Amino acid sequence: MTELLKIENLNKSFGALEVLKGIDLTVEKGETVVILGSSGSGKSTLLRCVNFMEIPTSGRIAIAGKPVGTERSRASGRIQVDYRESELIGIRATVGMVFQHFNLFPHMTAFGNVMEGPRTVLKLPRGECEARAETYLSKVGLADKMHSYPAHLSGGQQQRVAIARALAMEPQLMLFDEATSALDPELVGEVLQTIRSLADEGMTMLIVTHELGFAYSVASKVLFLSDGVILEQGAPDDVLVRPKQQRTRDFLRGHATYKLPDLAIT
Amino acid sequence: MGYEWDFGVVFRDFDLLLLGLVNTLKVTGLALLFGVPLGLILALLRLSRHGVIRIPVGIVIEFLRSTPPLVQLFWLFFALPILTGINITPFIASVVTFSFQSSAFFAEVFRGGIVSIEKGQWEAAKAIGMDRGQSMRRVILPQAVKRMIPAFLERVIELMKTTTLVATVSYADLLYEANTIAQATFRPLEVFTVAAAMYFAVLFPVSLFVRRLERRLGRTGEGTVH
Repeated sequence: MTELLKIENLNKSFGALEVLKGIDLTVEKGETVVILGSSGSGKSTLLRCVNFMEIPTSGRIAIAGKPVGTERSRASGRIQVDYRESELIGIRATVGMVFQHFNLFPHMTAFGNVMEGPRTVLKLPRGECEARAETYLSKVGLADKMHSYPAHLSGGQQQRVAIARALAMEPQLMLFDEATSALDPELVGEVLQTIRSLADEGMTMLIVTHELGFAYSVASKVLFLSDGVILEQGAPDDVLVRPKQQRTRDFLRGHATYKLPDLAIT
Repeated sequence: MGYEWDFGVVFRDFDLLLLGLVNTLKVTGLALLFGVPLGLILALLRLSRHGVIRIPVGIVIEFLRSTPPLVQLFWLFFALPILTGINITPFIASVVTFSFQSSAFFAEVFRGGIVSIEKGQWEAAKAIGMDRGQSMRRVILPQAVKRMIPAFLERVIELMKTTTLVATVSYADLLYEANTIAQATFRPLEVFTVAAAMYFAVLFPVSLFVRRLERRLGRTGEGTVH
């Protein structure tokens, strides 16, 4: 296995508010890592530091073995790194991100949305951009909606277009930031299945989600984040079935207060 | 008391009024030609992340918006020659004044449209690797322009009405010609009625168009800014 992402002693503060307090994480190529935690625990911030939507306050991030930025100093155990925007733009082009609220470009069709990255960022020839758009829209099951505008698509379809838009950049890593939290319950399944099929194909992914059942079934590793630190991590069975920490247990209990009997959905 | 209307005198000099209207449209058109691109540049500069750019540009915009256009026109036409020794024609003074004056208002329309676009659009553009310029050009502006159109056209109507001020520096616009004819014929009532009708004939269709456009944009679910 090769290391695709290595995070060392990552800290992120917004003013006086310390959101991430020394995160260490290694993700192997092909792994699906699910990040859990209550709101405010820093899950989204962690994800957004990986593609530098947020600039880490300190700490080192290496992608595919290459450290991002130039290390300046290591004062009091903190690793200070300088970043150049041009380098970060290059990183973002190779790390796909899917947002809670889809954020599709409303003035472009599904096809246009997916083509936009290859065309404007990668500057590929038009034919190749179109081919990519077709490939990835078909992959998310929306070949028949190519020429629809986002406003005419359901939430689930919009989110699948957003996934195709990220995939069209042919990223080495995909980030999902609560990709199903804004969806009507009956639309969650189609998006989860799309993500699941990516996992099966060996895409490396970091997923922030509240869908515990999905986390259990898809994750190769589960992290439980609390107050900006990784409180617990391991295989789904260890973290979700036999958690060691009281706070993890409380979190899981809060998510499983009411359950349908198994019969109801067969 | 019965007033005897006599439009005959007006129509004898109607060609002068038409010439005045053409001149009004000329000043308005040129002010738009220079004011719109300048306004876009000012708007983008005012949105700069760097205070050294943002703050001075903000001051210029607010200065232009908060001083009467007539004062700006007089300053350019009467005061500037004293300072620089350069005499400019009423026409040049009018075009320059209204280009700058309207650019400040357009800048605010454009800025309003740009900042009305949700943060998520910037984020999505950034996440696929776009830089700020690409995001602005490909994602933000195309959406913002749609929202700006009604407010923009309102400003155009406003601009054409404000250009009546150029009559005060003897530029032969519609109002100036009307005034000249009124004084020569002693028929101000008829002359200014016709002049008003001529402004109305140009601006009312624009205004109707704005309203229809707003309804159409409203139907496709796109909000507009004012």
